[in-house]
This record gives sequence, C-alpha cells and structure tokens, in this order.
Amino acid sequence: MKVKYENVSFNYSSTAALKNISCEFDSGKTILVAGHNGSGKSTFLKLMNGILKPTEGRVILGEIATDGKRTSELARLCALSFQNPDDQLFAQSVKKELRFGIDNIGGGDGLYDSIVDTLHLGGQLQSNPYALVYAMRRLVVIGATAAMGTPILALDEPTAGLSIREKEYLGNLISFLKARGTTVVIVTHDLNFMLPYSDDMLLLSHGGVQFSGGRDEFFTRSDARDLMKRSGIGYPMYARISSALDLEKAAFDADEIAEWARKKRAGVTQRTNGQHQLEGA
Amino acid sequence: MTIVSLKDFSLSYTKDSPPALHRIDLDLNSGESVIVSGLSGSGKSTLCLAVAGFTETFPAMTVSGQIIRSESADGKPLRVGIVLQNFYSQVTYLRSTVMEEIAFPCENLGLPRAETARRVSDAIARIRIGHLAQRSPLELSGGEKQKVVLAAAIAGKPDLLILDEPLSQLDPESTSYLGEVLSELKQELALLIAENDPYLTLKVADRLVVLSEGKIVADGSPETVIGPSTASCLDLPAWTKCVAKAYEGSVADDNRMTRQYELNYRKALSLLRGSE
Repeated sequence: MKVKYENVSFNYSSTAALKNISCEFDSGKTILVAGHNGSGKSTFLKLMNGILKPTEGRVILGEIATDGKRTSELARLCALSFQNPDDQLFAQSVKKELRFGIDNIGGGDGLYDSIVDTLHLGGQLQSNPYALVYAMRRLVVIGATAAMGTPILALDEPTAGLSIREKEYLGNLISFLKARGTTVVIVTHDLNFMLPYSDDMLLLSHGGVQFSGGRDEFFTRSDARDLMKRSGIGYPMYARISSALDLEKAAFDADEIAEWARKKRAGVTQRTNGQHQLEGA
Repeated sequence: MTIVSLKDFSLSYTKDSPPALHRIDLDLNSGESVIVSGLSGSGKSTLCLAVAGFTETFPAMTVSGQIIRSESADGKPLRVGIVLQNFYSQVTYLRSTVMEEIAFPCENLGLPRAETARRVSDAIARIRIGHLAQRSPLELSGGEKQKVVLAAAIAGKPDLLILDEPLSQLDPESTSYLGEVLSELKQELALLIAENDPYLTLKVADRLVVLSEGKIVADGSPETVIGPSTASCLDLPAWTKCVAKAYEGSVADDNRMTRQYELNYRKALSLLRGSE
C-alpha cells in the first residue's frame, strides 16, 4: 500500500516535531527513515497509523487519508512496533501476544506460523513475555505487529538491543514481508545493517526532509555525505569502504565488497601467472 | 585498584532455570573501562545488575559465590551509577525540566545547591544537551531521554558507572561523540558497559569480556579477544567482515584469519585492494 505525506506538520504543545513535510513511497517498498535524535522520526511513524493526527496537512495510506479515521480503523492498514517494547507487551504468554493481532484483525494462521519460524520464537510460545531477555521481547513485539498482516508495517528502531543472531532473524522477516508485498517503513540508526534491505530512504533533520527517494539514487549524489552529516548520520561503513576502494557504486554489505575483492585478486593472480609464463618463455 | 571483585559468582533467576551467570571471576579496576559483549541471553544485563547490587534484593533467586566491593575514597560505600537497558523507566517525570531531572541524583546525595548546579551544568555540557535543558522530560524523543538519563548518572559522580547498551537509541553522530565522552570519563571512574557495537568497543574498551551462556569465554584487550574463537558471539567492524569474507576458504594460510581479525581499517583496505 502506498504511503503519502502532503505538507504535514505536527506540534507537541510548544514544540514543532515535523514542519511541512511531503514525501511519497510506492506500495511494497522497504523504506528507511533516518535522522538525528529528535529529528521527528518516531512522530513520522505515529502519524502513519493514526496514533497522532497531523496538526496541518494530510497523511494518505493507499487512497485513505488518516484524518477523520479512527485509530482502530487505521490499525487494519498500518501496524506499528514501538521504540520501547515494554510499552507494547501485555499478554500472559508469547503465543497470546502473537495471536492477539491475528485474532482481532487477522493475518491468518499461515502468517503466524511463518513469523514464529522466521523469528525462532517456537521455543518461547508458553513463556511470559516479561520473563524474556530484552532482545527477545523486542522480537515478540515485532512478530506480533507483523502477524496482523497489514499492508503497511512500521518498525521503530527494530535493531536496538538485538545481538547479531536476532538481527539476522529480523533481516529474514523483512525479506519475507517484502516478498508478500508489504510496505515496510523502518526508523533506524543502524544503516550498516538495514541498507541492504531497503529500496527507499527518508532523511529527516529538525523536523524537515533532507532527502526522500530511492536508496541507489541517494548514494550516487555528490552531496550524499553532506546530507547525511546534516541529518546527524555518519556515512555508512560499507559505502565508505566502497568509495575508499573506488568501487563504481556504493556497496551495502560485506558480501558485495568481498566479491569485488575476490574478483580483483583473481585478476591480479592471472596477470602474475601471465608474467611468469612470459618470463619462462 | 580493584573496586569490585566477583569470585566464583553464579546466579539463577529461579530454582529450575539454568544459571544466568555461571562461576564468574571478574575484577573491575578504577580507571579502567570494561566492555561486556555477547549474544542476547548470554548474561550481560544480569552481570550489570549483579555488580550494581540490584540482584541482592530479588527473592526467588539462587546465588552462590561472592561480590566484594571496596569503599569509596571518602570511606563511604562504593558509589555505583547505572543506566538500565530500559532507561525509559529511569526518567522520574517528577520534575518539569530536563535540568531538574538531571539534578535528581545529586539532590538525593544531599549535595549543596551550588555543587548540584555545577555538576548539572557540567553533565549537560559533556553530553551536549544544552538545547534540551529547559524542555519537559515528557516531550523528549527516545534518544534524547537516553542522553538525559546518562547525564544524570554522570552528575552523581559514581566510582563505578554501569551502562547497559548506552547507545541503543542514539543517532550515529551522538554515538561518535559519546564514545569520546566515555573515553574521557574513564580517567575519573571505572566503567562497565554492556554493548555489542564493535566501533564503541574499539574506541573505549581497555578490556573486552565476552559472555556466552552465562560464562566468561574471553577476557582481555579487544585486539586479543576479537578473533575466530569469539566471532560467533561478536559483531565485528564492517571492514573486518569484508576481509574475512574476501579471504574465506583461502587455503594458503589458515592462521592468516587470526591476524585479519585484528586489522585496522587501512590495513583492511589494502588487503581488499589486493595490494598487501
């Protein structure tokens, strides 16, 4: 489902969190939202599922504007996993937590099983969510929101507190949802991990849009580093390594760079062999 | 000087559960920063809580071994500050401004007003949150709250500061300068940090302790600890991952992998270019 913000502003009493922002993302895309602390990222997400309504402007999901709609209606379009998992957990077991959305909104049993498998929650279904370690609590919340099967899924800092093992599970879940056609909107500081999964990017700074558009388009821009710096974001490591190695375009994970290095080394080896042959002849 | 010493310390949350910490021997010294890494569930947070003394109040818990804490320089009990993984629960919301929120620990210590004011403004400057000082704690974003809780802990001037994933909600720029702040802080106090961020580890850690299933599997300088034997428990810097993958299955020299894990950024680049 398409997501569109038209001249959206939002104020928390005296503080303006978002100032006249406009952006648009196609259905089925994975979108990363990045920016400094207090740039308006979480506010952006809360506007999407109607927890907050714009002070000015319109948020449109598919063809439906959120103003005038109840949060309960919007919950069928967009599920949101909060920044703090403890704000969201309430059921007595992991299973009940994961089933709640399905039983009320309905993602279906097939989706439930896939999510339990993908996030490796099978062994924890009878546990009390609050007895789990933090990373698992976060996975349960992410799983419970994904299990609602909404066309849009919004995740606020999903990698915070996860170790490499759970990050891998989360990555698999995002790939799985993308294959189902879900639009996934992810607020994150962890660009090093998240960039390989993304199609589009939204950079926020002081409540305004620094960039909105395709990921690959962004990294071909000559001012990409500047834009990130202005948003309080360091240039992602793999892009930095790519540019230090003069790769044609930015790579987003170790595999791409390793592949390039292997090819280059193979080329060097071939040349060396050639020289040997030449010398031998 | 050793300020906290864990001796053969084990802890289980309930009678039937496997130990969250198993036979831990660990000394924490003043002027030293120790980073604890490991997969989730390995015991990082439990170690933080145990060192802080919180676990002594959990009724259902089984504990064996000892935790010995030295006295503070003034002869009072060791002062320990902590920023919890769920730092949201540490914002009191009893105060109307961030500045007053940060003053809370100093007031609890019974410090004179002038001293409190001095420490608060020092902590605000260090964490670079001057722009938040007069805001209401209720209006802050997650990352801003995390900075406020950290500033309050620093203002209390503990002998030991324990931080459980202190960067989890911070933007990369804040992560970078807070790495510097923590490096400075270790001149004044001991640091125990549960964290999996490899960049923070390289910047701040004098010692890296790796936990797996409640046991210490490695303890030493990051250069000696980060290697093939701990690779399954640790996140590694991007450049190290690239080199490891580029040379994967390279039969030429097996122990080359060991050295590759210890490479710095520049060395990694030249290896990737094939010019090493």
